[in-house]
Amino acid sequence: MNPSLEKQIAAAARSVEEARRNAYRDQSRLGELVEQINVLAEYRQQEGDFRKAESLYREALFRIQDAKAPDPELMVGVYSLLAYLYDRWGKLPEAADFYQKALKLSDELGIRDSDKAATVKNNLAMIYKAMRDPEKAAHFYTEALEEFRRVHGDHSGKVASVYNNLGVLYYQNLEVERSLDMHHRALSIREQADGTDMEPGDLSQTYINLGAVHKALGDFQKAHECVEKARAISAGTITGGLPVRRRSAALLLDKTA
Amino acid sequence: MREILSIHVGQCGNQIADSFWRLILKEHGLNENGTVKDSSVVKSNSNQEVFFHKVREGKYVPRAVLVDLEPGVIARIEGGEMSELFDEGSIIRKLPGAANNWARGYNVEGERVIDQIMNTIDSAVEKTQSLQGFLITHSIGGGSGSGLGSLIIERLRQAYPKKKIFTFSVVPSPLISDAAVEPYNAVLSLQKIKENADCAVLLDNEALFRIAKTRFQRSPNYMDLNHIVALIMSSVTASLRFPGRLNTDLNEYVTNLVPFPGNHFLTASFAPMRSAQSESVVRTNFADLARETFSEDNFTAEIDWRTGVYLSACALFRGEVKAKEVDENMAAIRKSLNFASYVPTGIKIGLAETAPEGFASSGLALVNHTGIAQVFERLLQQFDIMFDNHAYTHWYEGAGVSRSWMQSARDTVAELAVSYRDAV
Repeated sequence: MNPSLEKQIAAAARSVEEARRNAYRDQSRLGELVEQINVLAEYRQQEGDFRKAESLYREALFRIQDAKAPDPELMVGVYSLLAYLYDRWGKLPEAADFYQKALKLSDELGIRDSDKAATVKNNLAMIYKAMRDPEKAAHFYTEALEEFRRVHGDHSGKVASVYNNLGVLYYQNLEVERSLDMHHRALSIREQADGTDMEPGDLSQTYINLGAVHKALGDFQKAHECVEKARAISAGTITGGLPVRRRSAALLLDKTA
Repeated sequence: MREILSIHVGQCGNQIADSFWRLILKEHGLNENGTVKDSSVVKSNSNQEVFFHKVREGKYVPRAVLVDLEPGVIARIEGGEMSELFDEGSIIRKLPGAANNWARGYNVEGERVIDQIMNTIDSAVEKTQSLQGFLITHSIGGGSGSGLGSLIIERLRQAYPKKKIFTFSVVPSPLISDAAVEPYNAVLSLQKIKENADCAVLLDNEALFRIAKTRFQRSPNYMDLNHIVALIMSSVTASLRFPGRLNTDLNEYVTNLVPFPGNHFLTASFAPMRSAQSESVVRTNFADLARETFSEDNFTAEIDWRTGVYLSACALFRGEVKAKEVDENMAAIRKSLNFASYVPTGIKIGLAETAPEGFASSGLALVNHTGIAQVFERLLQQFDIMFDNHAYTHWYEGAGVSRSWMQSARDTVAELAVSYRDAV
């Protein structure tokens, strides 16, 4: 194991133990325990030990539920974290189940954080796409899109990302014209973006995706142009223009073409 | 370092913990709060770390996880003399209890607390350098110790496939019954113990009661019974904790005591027996000690000695014991015991220099005897009467344990009994 990760795990484990002691004496400090558990579980995932990460999140979940006055926001958070864990683990039905739980509970409780809800919907759509359920995927992408537009405006990087994701979904579903439309929308936002709202590889990725769509439409000239543009952008970026698969519980964006 | 992690589950498991840790503290020269009481004792045995994790200012914290689905017994431990001994992060209490129902302990309540337990165990394991295995104390007749205990054993096996799991399992008595559903709980537990544990020392309250009554010459209480169990548990691990000429670790016990896969159910005997309250040091000559150690009425389970045979036996003597005397007396004892015809070898012997506090010397026998089938047969008989009449099964079905699951547990235990009977 990476020695620095090993040290981080050891330190996080000690913090969890201390937080357990504190929560044992004082139930109101459960939130602190959940925070520490999240840190340790994140390291466990980096280590590749998904089972231990799952066990940690489940401990957090049941402890919150068993508290005299369960904190609903904490619960929504842990549902999302569990869903995200299962997603990384490749357990897609479980991931979908927990994202649905997170959405349902936040809806029931009137937790109105559109950005978070949109993120969860985007993640959920990705999972349905991977589970070959394009209808549900399109439904949740569309909802995520609407909420991101409402919160961040029509030209934000997040909106472009969902357009991109929808483009990929339609492409996979052989709806090439719709896919082209989505990628063009993503492109128009990303071309005008100042760089603060997107990853370095986003624009080149859009060109690659567009190239794939043009190729599918039989327009090899345009496909070639798109790929050349992507190459030119890649050559001028630190990451080589390769798509950065952003992995975070806060926002999960689909970059796969 | 070959550390051992003790896991105490349920009311009975934690009552045993109370007696066990009191005894272990004394053996290692420690106060009830884990600080050093007698530095000469601490110096003379360097292996406190088998059972304790040393923290700041020389304080020793037990490598133990205490679990219960109701607060009573653990609260008494926390409120008693050992209130500062255990790590609060290793104590897990969860309401509302398993209601004497194995299925609730295993499924309903267990499901909600098992991750916390396993995470706590993982933390404790990470504090060890070379963990040898786990000691689990529980009763298999109730709900928490049986159901949740079974779940813990199962998860331990999955998470630590190479570590030894020793259970000290209190079996419902033939005469004293705490709950009508004890046979169900016991049979469901035995299935999990058979599948997942390496060794299970069966402790029958009735046998413990008889031993205590005979040896203490008074009417015993539960503290006395728990003290007997504590003495046995302490001696099982003595060889790891104290210097000796013949060391026996958990791996060696398993190798020597389990002749066939699954036939790992043992009975134990400790000698010379005395109550926790006795002040004077007990001195016994070795011949008497060895005889009492292997005396049939000194064992912790109601064994069918008459028709059964010994499959294997281990003896561990502690304190002022001479090797020559051991050799001479144990050869005679080996001859007197009715071993299976295909077991020509002797009794595995271990010697540790330090006797339990209050004893000049002591003996422990761990025995695998085919007569233990009688314990299973008795439980099955009680199980069948209820099960055939569909009595109480709805409580189990309601908590996710179907009749076919119960039937499968019953069949597993029946096969176990037959395998012991056939091993003659």
